[in-house]
Amino acid sequence: MKHSMTRLNRSILAVAVAGALASVAALPAAAQSSDSGPRTAWGDPDIAGVYAQYTTAPLERPEQFGEREFLTDEEFAEVENRRLTARELNFESDTEPGTAADVHYNLDQFALGANEGVSSPNRRTSIVTLPANGRIPAALPQVAERRTANQARTRGREYDGPEFRSLTERCIVWSSTLPPILPGGYNSNMQIFQSPGYVMIQGEMGDPRVIPTDGRALPENLLPQWNGTSVGRWEGDTLVVETAGFRRETAWRNSSEKLHVTEKFTRVDEDTLDYAFTVVDPETWAEPWGGVYPITEMENVLFEYACTEGNYGMANILSGERAREREAAAGQ
Amino acid sequence: MRIATGILIAVGLVLAAAAEAHHAFATEFDADRPVALRGKVTKVELINPHSWIHIEVVGEDGTATTWMIEGGSPNALVRRGITRDSIPVGVELIVNGYQARDGTNRAVGRDMLFADGRPLFFEGTQVSE
Amino acid sequence: MTRIPNTAFILIAAVICGACASDEADGDTVEFPRTAGGQPDLSGVWQAVNTAHWNLEPHVPGYPVLLELGAQFAVPPGPGVVDGGEIPYLPEARAERDRRFANRLTDDPEGKCYLGGVPRSTYMPYPFQILQNADDILIVYQFATGTRRLFVDGAEPAPLDSWMGWSNARWEGDTLVVEVTGFNGQTWLDRAGNYASAGAKVTERYTPLGPDHLQYEATIEDASVYSRPWTIRMPLYRIVDEGFQLLEFKCEPFAEEKVYGHLRKPGTEFPEEVRSQ
Repeated sequence: MKHSMTRLNRSILAVAVAGALASVAALPAAAQSSDSGPRTAWGDPDIAGVYAQYTTAPLERPEQFGEREFLTDEEFAEVENRRLTARELNFESDTEPGTAADVHYNLDQFALGANEGVSSPNRRTSIVTLPANGRIPAALPQVAERRTANQARTRGREYDGPEFRSLTERCIVWSSTLPPILPGGYNSNMQIFQSPGYVMIQGEMGDPRVIPTDGRALPENLLPQWNGTSVGRWEGDTLVVETAGFRRETAWRNSSEKLHVTEKFTRVDEDTLDYAFTVVDPETWAEPWGGVYPITEMENVLFEYACTEGNYGMANILSGERAREREAAAGQ
Repeated sequence: MRIATGILIAVGLVLAAAAEAHHAFATEFDADRPVALRGKVTKVELINPHSWIHIEVVGEDGTATTWMIEGGSPNALVRRGITRDSIPVGVELIVNGYQARDGTNRAVGRDMLFADGRPLFFEGTQVSE
Repeated sequence: MTRIPNTAFILIAAVICGACASDEADGDTVEFPRTAGGQPDLSGVWQAVNTAHWNLEPHVPGYPVLLELGAQFAVPPGPGVVDGGEIPYLPEARAERDRRFANRLTDDPEGKCYLGGVPRSTYMPYPFQILQNADDILIVYQFATGTRRLFVDGAEPAPLDSWMGWSNARWEGDTLVVEVTGFNGQTWLDRAGNYASAGAKVTERYTPLGPDHLQYEATIEDASVYSRPWTIRMPLYRIVDEGFQLLEFKCEPFAEEKVYGHLRKPGTEFPEEVRSQ
């Protein structure tokens, strides 16, 4: 079923079309900057790239700052000094040998112990900016009730099989890659890919979110998904993404399936985007909360994170527990 | 301003997600079973979620045993130019770590060194591109 | 999105190709969407509609791998998608293929929710979405949320082996040619045990066939497995459902009992309440 156009006809057509194209008006040039920042070839604000999520500001504001959102010049100078100082790779273990804390591979040997050297200045006292005290609101009582009920359901069965292990041990989902994306322990990077009418966002250890940017509303009856369903729109130079329809088991920060996240991506300068977010879940927090932090472009690629394929760990955890049970039985 | 790659950066702030323990390492490996191994590399799996390096350890009686040593995700290594050829088969490694709780020849590599004492993957104080 | 008005193309085609109006495929090709740069715009959701995922080679209907599944999971017939009919295995490799077929229930990585690799991901019976800009093309597969980044005019070799390989792409006229290397050798080509080794090189070709059709070809070279390179060919069909969004098929939980069931605590069983979540 090959395409039947002859090569000669194709060449003739190509030449004619090329000539015609030259005179077709309104052909957009390659990515050009406007006053509001660089644009893609089709005219959307250009926010594409691979971004490191590491930032110096803590998630929640230390209490001594009160409602102060920004560091003083002196405080910022100190934070910047620490951020910009090289340090030795710490191959010497700083945990006590023979303790559970020491039972871990050396993060620095795999360049995972730091932020991979890419970050931006951050003058804020915290990532969280709503509510005004910069601290996540207390969880509603039903959160503790949900957790208690879950724990009661699985008590004594946590190691029977894989099904009641954590979502990360099961290689299902890493909470640091879910919206809203917060800086994580390692591989805390994301890719933003743009094509006409779509943006794709993927955390390095997460699943791709293919987001239509035509401004459509979230569908009424969303099929629950681990990553929810995302839709987007452009507001000026800001990409706004709404996500809802999470599975109950996703439970990002112990939230419910009613979780609704709004993310906003805005270019700040040629290397940096501001990532802002708001979180609403009336069955988890009494009020919306949210924040903002800079994500920094790294001129590099994300590598495939095939988790379940290489998950020797789950087998080892279960066989380790089976061994412990045999030891305990033999000791009786 | 972006910081040039090649310089690791210290910040005194502990990331909240360190509390998100990926792994029940203490269930998988035994803090009461420390091991010090020396052997030649037979296979290198730079994979996710954790790398595994296989080494052949020759005992005093001459018998050879293959050990699997667990390490970290290779994704940051890739960005620093590490490739599948970076640890050649046959090179000798020294591994300090903890053995699997079920007694099999697996260990998590607390520190992995080449025979000359250089740490695996990186030497010195700076990460080279 | 800015695109060249289709009417402009049709007008030009009519002027140039008045003599070849009998070649009816000409009109179809020029209606395929194009990017601002003039290349075919492969963006959209696509799916193969054939039995290649069961068996690339021609096959009569066959028994289900578990008899109690009956006709629902029996293997349907298919004419095959291999140029020349049969895969040109070396003799010992064909024996290995047959061994894999005999052990497919335990060994097929698809059953473990492992990524399908290339080219298998293309013709698994699930949709995938292509997102295209001038520098890069991304493909997102529904099965196990696989993704591939195709580096247009990329020349870097694969830094490490991976399940989906490392893809460097280029345009040859209206055909996107993708060279894929850096496989880890752990994927299969279908459910019948057909396979390639880690040393395989796959060259894909995506060519518009009509406004809602692509022709997909993949040539597989692997001297340790085959006596010569060989090619599969099939159409890909555009999903035209309005407002279609790829759904998540995170199959990891469904494979757990299969992969880890032998390590279950003695005296316990898979908890049925999990199944109904």
